[in-house]
Amino acid sequence: MITLPRVPRCIAVAVLIACTTSACSRAGGCRDEYCGTLVFAGVGEVTALLPPVSDASVDRDVYDQIFLRLADLTPDGGTIGDSGFVPQLAQRWEWTDPLTLVFHLDPRARWQDGPPVTAEDVAFTFAAYTDTAVNSADRGTLLAHIASVTAQDSLTALFHFRDRYPEMFYDAVFHMRILPAHLLRNVPLATWRTAEFGRAPVGAGPYRFVRWTPGQSLELAADSGFYLGRPHLRRLIWRFASDLNVAITQVVAGEADAIEVLLSPTNIERARNSGHLTLYSYPGPTYTFLRFNLRADGDSLRPHPIFADRDVRRALVLATDRARMCQSVFSGNAKVPPGPIPQSWSWLWVPQLTVPSYDSAQAARLLAARGWRDSDGDGVRDRGGRKLSFHLSVPSTSPPRVQYAQLLQEALKAVGVEVVIDQMEPATLQERLRAGGFDAALETWFADPSPASAAPGIWGSHGPSNFGHYASPAFDRQVAAAASATTPDAARTSWIAAFGTLDQDAPGIMLFSVDNIAAVDSRVTDVQIRPDSWWALVRTWRIPPDKLNERDRVGG
Amino acid sequence: MTAWLLRRLAAGIAIIFAVVTLTFVAVHLAPGDPFLPADGRPMDPAAVARLRTAYGLDRTLLEQYGRYLVALGRGELGQSFSRRRPVAAAIGSALPNTVLLAGAALLIDFACGIAIGVFQAARVRRRSDVALTNLTLFFYSLPTFWLGMVLLLLFSQWLHWLPVGGAIDPVLHDALPLGGRLLDRLRHLVLPALTLGLVGAGGTARFQRAALLEALGQDYVRTARAKGLAERTVLVRHALRDALLPVISLLGLALPFLLTGAVLVETVFAWPGLGKLAADAILARDYPLVLGTVLVASLAVVVGSLVADLLTVAADPRIRLSG
Repeated sequence: MITLPRVPRCIAVAVLIACTTSACSRAGGCRDEYCGTLVFAGVGEVTALLPPVSDASVDRDVYDQIFLRLADLTPDGGTIGDSGFVPQLAQRWEWTDPLTLVFHLDPRARWQDGPPVTAEDVAFTFAAYTDTAVNSADRGTLLAHIASVTAQDSLTALFHFRDRYPEMFYDAVFHMRILPAHLLRNVPLATWRTAEFGRAPVGAGPYRFVRWTPGQSLELAADSGFYLGRPHLRRLIWRFASDLNVAITQVVAGEADAIEVLLSPTNIERARNSGHLTLYSYPGPTYTFLRFNLRADGDSLRPHPIFADRDVRRALVLATDRARMCQSVFSGNAKVPPGPIPQSWSWLWVPQLTVPSYDSAQAARLLAARGWRDSDGDGVRDRGGRKLSFHLSVPSTSPPRVQYAQLLQEALKAVGVEVVIDQMEPATLQERLRAGGFDAALETWFADPSPASAAPGIWGSHGPSNFGHYASPAFDRQVAAAASATTPDAARTSWIAAFGTLDQDAPGIMLFSVDNIAAVDSRVTDVQIRPDSWWALVRTWRIPPDKLNERDRVGG
Repeated sequence: MTAWLLRRLAAGIAIIFAVVTLTFVAVHLAPGDPFLPADGRPMDPAAVARLRTAYGLDRTLLEQYGRYLVALGRGELGQSFSRRRPVAAAIGSALPNTVLLAGAALLIDFACGIAIGVFQAARVRRRSDVALTNLTLFFYSLPTFWLGMVLLLLFSQWLHWLPVGGAIDPVLHDALPLGGRLLDRLRHLVLPALTLGLVGAGGTARFQRAALLEALGQDYVRTARAKGLAERTVLVRHALRDALLPVISLLGLALPFLLTGAVLVETVFAWPGLGKLAADAILARDYPLVLGTVLVASLAVVVGSLVADLLTVAADPRIRLSG
């Protein structure tokens, strides 16, 4: 019997393996500016690609490449007026009267199956987004201010508003991606959630849908005839990972090219040490906070025995050394927000709003003044037979929040407050929050570009997500004033006043807003990231011809 | 035989019915709402209510259960909330991947387990036997997800020999020739199958060793030796044939182990199979999909157990199917 010597056999195996990655692939001849394949490592899978009925963040990442808005935000654009927007499907716009906004569509815009994009599509889209059968999450926002959308002619769409306010333009363009009426008109609205169109969409954006392999990946291909400029990257592929660690390992191992956020210092270090990744920091659209429930756990009619007292809440804020915690968990890759303000609202990170400084002595004095003393010497303050102890609900899937819970537990123990940490899965936490069945919870909020929709929802007296039942007429008034301010400066002044009120009332402890750090393979250049939509500008990214690898050329 | 089969079939249906019922109650009583965004984004309560009505969740639990059973009787598994497609379609695309993974893991489990068990029995109480006993115990005690992560770290991240996860390379797969595509699948299969297979092999080897040692003490083995047969022949032709019978019955028990192990292994390796589908469905509170995956898994266990019994009968003519 002939036996192969050991080394050649190894080589044979290596060749066989290499065969799958390069040599035997049918590499195409694509060698110019418009080659390149970008593989995104993402956590979670797409649910559907029909904008009104799918709003998970991974859905949005993908369909923002397929569908366009009438106009889109610039990377640092404000939401008041229209100066922070650039044309997309609309070539230009004008106000014919204070309540009528007219969009003139770009005549070059075409659906990927051929027909031109028309004003009928715009009117159809508005009708769909606001129909109860479709049940879009944006329905309420749109109907609150926009009375109707009509087509004046094939390229002119009219938006009729109910009232005047500063973010009319933002509301008109930001919430809706324009849909192809000719393809969707005959699909019953009630079936859109499960419509086949959502699994193989046709849009007017820079990329067209190619395939979606459930549980594995989704592929888009550049539309070479895209009227706003041919995208440089020819293929975009999303790989669906079950968790962030797997996704990061894929990127570090070179099996994926980009990941939107690395989150922890360990992951950042892993990416930095890989040698082939470039890190991009951009303002994070999230902030994380501890929310106090001002009503009794499970009984929203009774005040909470601890947190109904504003001075106690303020004492807990003072006893929390947020700067040290932030440094300890994020090693400088996050900031303590001066209110419920993500970093993406950079225009609100102003000197007038400051983080109250850590003062445990003052915290102890405040608690003592409210009658909370350690009468039995067990290290936990008490009053009238009740211990100063509460349960802190934390999602077990979020390592930073679990770490923060432990740090808070230590910090508050130092001033005689007992914290019992309840780790639970996110769905359970959400249900508890909505049912009011909690003492305090660590939450992260993903904010829209505009505070006018986010802040009142979470902290306003009637906000649907005001799970802690904080109610302040002053705050509500100040928010209303901010939302109706006609200039950015006036809005900023009102927001500063509103967040100042929040700071005084301390319905929560604002803990951190992360610097989002994305990792992208170093062969990719011209990388721009928009805080509210990570991959929105990916059509401008490119891979120079001299940096293309075999994977980039496959299929060309 | 027919009566036995009918009895087993009836028992199998009863087991599946009980599993489905318990799962139905458990998932519906678990906290969480399938239509509330897990990230806490505000959602119009009226919109949530409309969705609950559309999917029949506004009815009483008993009513929902009745409707589910009626639909099940018609062969309908319902519509997945999170995947936005029929449960049968979601399972249909995941099941082949799990069958492939479980098949490969089963192969590794039994091939390695039987080989190691035979090797140990042939060298009983020698150093190699003791060493392998410890090694198999070590693997048998390992949590599958931990072993998976270690293998992933070693072979994917440090050595770059094998891919990190998934079932295929989404960039290259379609551009490869047939051989390349098969090899691509194989490369992606190696780590998850090894993870599941090695842990199982630890148990199988210990079982095989014990069975073979018992067989080696039987009279017919002594007779064979007395006839002057070579030790290898005695071991393989005589003792092993007998000692394989209990191992065959292990097949039926291996299936539940593989399916439960697959939930963790598929999650670690982003393997798009039934286990990952079930784990995602549980997190998303996707009731129909959870029920669908549990139904398929329990069906597989019942069928696996039946097949193991039939194989045992086929392999051992002394066994008769009765009672």
